[in-house]
Amino acid sequence: MSAQRDADSAMPGFYAAQGIRKSYGAIQVLKGISLDLKPGRMVTIMGENGAGKSTLFKILAGQVPPTGGTLRLAGAPVALASPSAAHARGIYLVPQEPALLPELSVAETMFVGALPTRGGPLGRRVDWAAMRARARAALDALELPIDVDRPARTLSIAQQQQVECAKALLRGCRIILFDEPTSPLTSHEVEHLFSIMRRLKADGCTLSFISHRMDEVLEISDEIAVLRDGVLVDVVARPSFDRARLLSRMVGRPLKAVPRRAASNARDEVALEVRGLSDGLRFADVGFSLRRGEVLGLAGLVGAGRTEIAETVFGVRPAAAGEVRLGGAVVTGLDCHAMIRRGLVYVPEDRARHGAVLPMTITENVTSGLLDRVRRRAGLLSARDEARISAAAVRDFRVRCAGLDQPLRELSGGNQQKVVFAKWMTTGPRVAILDEPTRGVDVGAKEDIYEMIDAMARDGMALLVISSESEELVRLCDRILSIYEGRVVAELSGADISPAAVARSYLTAAAPSGGVAA
Amino acid sequence: MDMRAPAAADAATPRDGRRLPVGGWELALTALLVAVVAGFGAAAPGFYAGPASLLGLTENFLPFGLVALGLSLVILTGGIDLSVGAVASLSAVLAAQLWSRFGVDIWAASALGVAIGALLGLLNAAVILRLGIEPLIATLGTSFLYGSAAVAAAGAAPPSGFPASFTAVGTGTLGSLGPLAGLVPIQLALFAALAVLFSALVARSPFGRVLVMVGYSPDAARYSGIRTGRVLATAYAVSGAMASLAGLVLASYYDAVRPDMGDVLLLTAITMVVLGGISIFGGEGTVAGVVVSVLVLGFLRQGMLIAGFSDMVTTMLTGAILLASIAAKNLFNRRGTGLANQIWATIRRPEPPRANPN
Ligand SMILES: Nc1ncnc2c1ncn2[C@@H]1O[C@H](COP(=O)(O)OP(=O)(O)OP(=O)(O)O)[C@@H](O)[C@H]1O
Ligand SMILES: [Mg+2]
Repeated sequence: MSAQRDADSAMPGFYAAQGIRKSYGAIQVLKGISLDLKPGRMVTIMGENGAGKSTLFKILAGQVPPTGGTLRLAGAPVALASPSAAHARGIYLVPQEPALLPELSVAETMFVGALPTRGGPLGRRVDWAAMRARARAALDALELPIDVDRPARTLSIAQQQQVECAKALLRGCRIILFDEPTSPLTSHEVEHLFSIMRRLKADGCTLSFISHRMDEVLEISDEIAVLRDGVLVDVVARPSFDRARLLSRMVGRPLKAVPRRAASNARDEVALEVRGLSDGLRFADVGFSLRRGEVLGLAGLVGAGRTEIAETVFGVRPAAAGEVRLGGAVVTGLDCHAMIRRGLVYVPEDRARHGAVLPMTITENVTSGLLDRVRRRAGLLSARDEARISAAAVRDFRVRCAGLDQPLRELSGGNQQKVVFAKWMTTGPRVAILDEPTRGVDVGAKEDIYEMIDAMARDGMALLVISSESEELVRLCDRILSIYEGRVVAELSGADISPAAVARSYLTAAAPSGGVAA
Repeated sequence: MDMRAPAAADAATPRDGRRLPVGGWELALTALLVAVVAGFGAAAPGFYAGPASLLGLTENFLPFGLVALGLSLVILTGGIDLSVGAVASLSAVLAAQLWSRFGVDIWAASALGVAIGALLGLLNAAVILRLGIEPLIATLGTSFLYGSAAVAAAGAAPPSGFPASFTAVGTGTLGSLGPLAGLVPIQLALFAALAVLFSALVARSPFGRVLVMVGYSPDAARYSGIRTGRVLATAYAVSGAMASLAGLVLASYYDAVRPDMGDVLLLTAITMVVLGGISIFGGEGTVAGVVVSVLVLGFLRQGMLIAGFSDMVTTMLTGAILLASIAAKNLFNRRGTGLANQIWATIRRPEPPRANPN
């Protein structure tokens, strides 16, 4: 066994962590992790928010130095001083929040830091033609129909991730780590990503990924490693996967999962009414009414225009036509400052850009949703009152942090999401639009958020939920509207709601001939 | 007991909900200030001739500090205001003309001068927001406009010979308030009061909070319901008002106005803000840092002049200190978003272009 392992571990592409430790100040994030990544295999890391998964990946990819332990590549110890040192050894990390430089073209972002050059009598120059051609080839190899001249900022999150994969290949990296690549994707896009991963695996690449979605993990993994509080508590190999055991190892307590809420809390009073809304660009003639206590879902592919609809209702994006009524009063054309004060809030999809200010503290982020509610002394914000609001949010939303004045960027992705959710929910809104509210949140915390949404609906809040996970919509919603290319194409309610029906509702619109298997 | 969120339980008894007003950078600057004052006190005869003369030295540089306070707000938003010098000149010239030609009371004219400065700042904001022009270019443009307006308004013989009560602002002390207050120049009292005000404004007021938020992330601020245009307009208006206040103090100090009197303010004021630790990318930094850096640069300059160095050497040293301190800050502060950090990151990425993998 051990001899076999020794032989294996010398293989190219065999990447092992041995006793990796990491501390931030007094906080121990990783407490001695030993894990083998092997060529042609997919090792998945699961664990709760803040368990240390991203930290482990960052160490494996040279982004942060470990406090202790060794990394071995093909049997030999390696020290990675920087991400570029990791790239040079063929190790690439697709980060939790892809960070393509927004003003560059797709081709340029793929070559940042490694621009192809060509010699000339006046010295070396960037070879733009070669750059575009090689970017094109890398995208083609993965069958990605993305124009290399597009500005990176126009890419959807799914496309940014796909570009990151191509970027890894371009740099000749064959050990690829994906940090929660699927959390912003719909099931359709996940399938596409998985087909890319399978191809890489068949090609002998060493793969590892992080996900909170159990079904995906069971589908794609060859091995599953469970991390809890910085300790590797379990490593299982296919075929001995066991969903219940994995969950209990992860969470350390039994989980009750409710597939669907029993009864609707909808009341008669209409809270939000939208009629004939168009932005003249991405969506047209959208109408719905949302009653108090009701949870209405918007289903659709990424890019269907759901976020644009939400942003227009919220007032951060102009409407070209149509009417929005909030509690009976016409509010069309008001900005979001006015909307928030009238009790309409929007938890945005893009946490890093719109939801939170990462260098600011937890407290500053929580209170920023509505500063008016903080008590004033001589015109200045009362620090004590702010701390009170923020402490309550951290407690109620179970944010895992070292202190209230910790900058948000030091929190794990899922915990950042909880802070953004808390920021809006603690303003006491009457209508809340939630755009991917559980993105990056672990299974246990997800159920907590679902229960909070149920409770808020019981208290009479009206909720509009956008989610790329059909199961989430089925779990939460009284009614679901299907959006395809900016139009409402179907409505599901009551007993008709099931994951298959949700997926079918927009996929049939995608292929009107009816030939789509969901 | 809930095993899943141990840290959350600790957080419910918070350390403190407030952002510390001073950090390592402010402390380092304070140490530098002590070194500068003690160094010149020991080495340059004439630098320290009693507390009154030491405090009196500040009269020579506090107008720069007033501009720096206002400019801090603009730079915290991630913008820049290059028109402060021209605003100082134009509003001081206009106030002086109101007094000399139209017989307006000098204090009423001064108040109007500050209001004009705020209006010029609003005009800057309008150019930036309505015409969508970068702050750097917009305020460069308006600085030429305001500068030539100042020349036109000054005429051939700009006013001088203000009432004694007015010139006391630039050169007098609080002497009438008691013997010890006699040590404190009126300029210093004015600067200290405004420094406290601005510090509280940025650190703890709702306006300061949204200002910082806009500086870090205009998008996130907008999605949080902050009317970012109003925040920027306020910042530029305050910067204009503070610039005109500095212009009036200069008028009082020289007992005269000139259409180019504000020109010297700009570069030194920017230096003070940046050395004070406010990031030109917005969001990062404190007013306390700027206040200490005003004193560091001011005393350094006065000390050099007293020690007999030429203006040129003094200016060169100022530039060198700025570059060295920012480089040090970025190297030691891993969170820095500064230019030096980015250059450093680029140097450390010497990866050769690779051939196609397959
Ligand atoms: N720079 C830092 N300073 C202090 N603490 C940090 C820092 N970076 C991460 N941490 C802490 O380390 C812990 C692990 O974070 P990590 O991002 O690895 O979690 P994760 O398992 O990826 O969680 P998620 O599922 O939410 O993404 C968290 O409690 C986080 O607050
Ligand atoms: Mg993570």
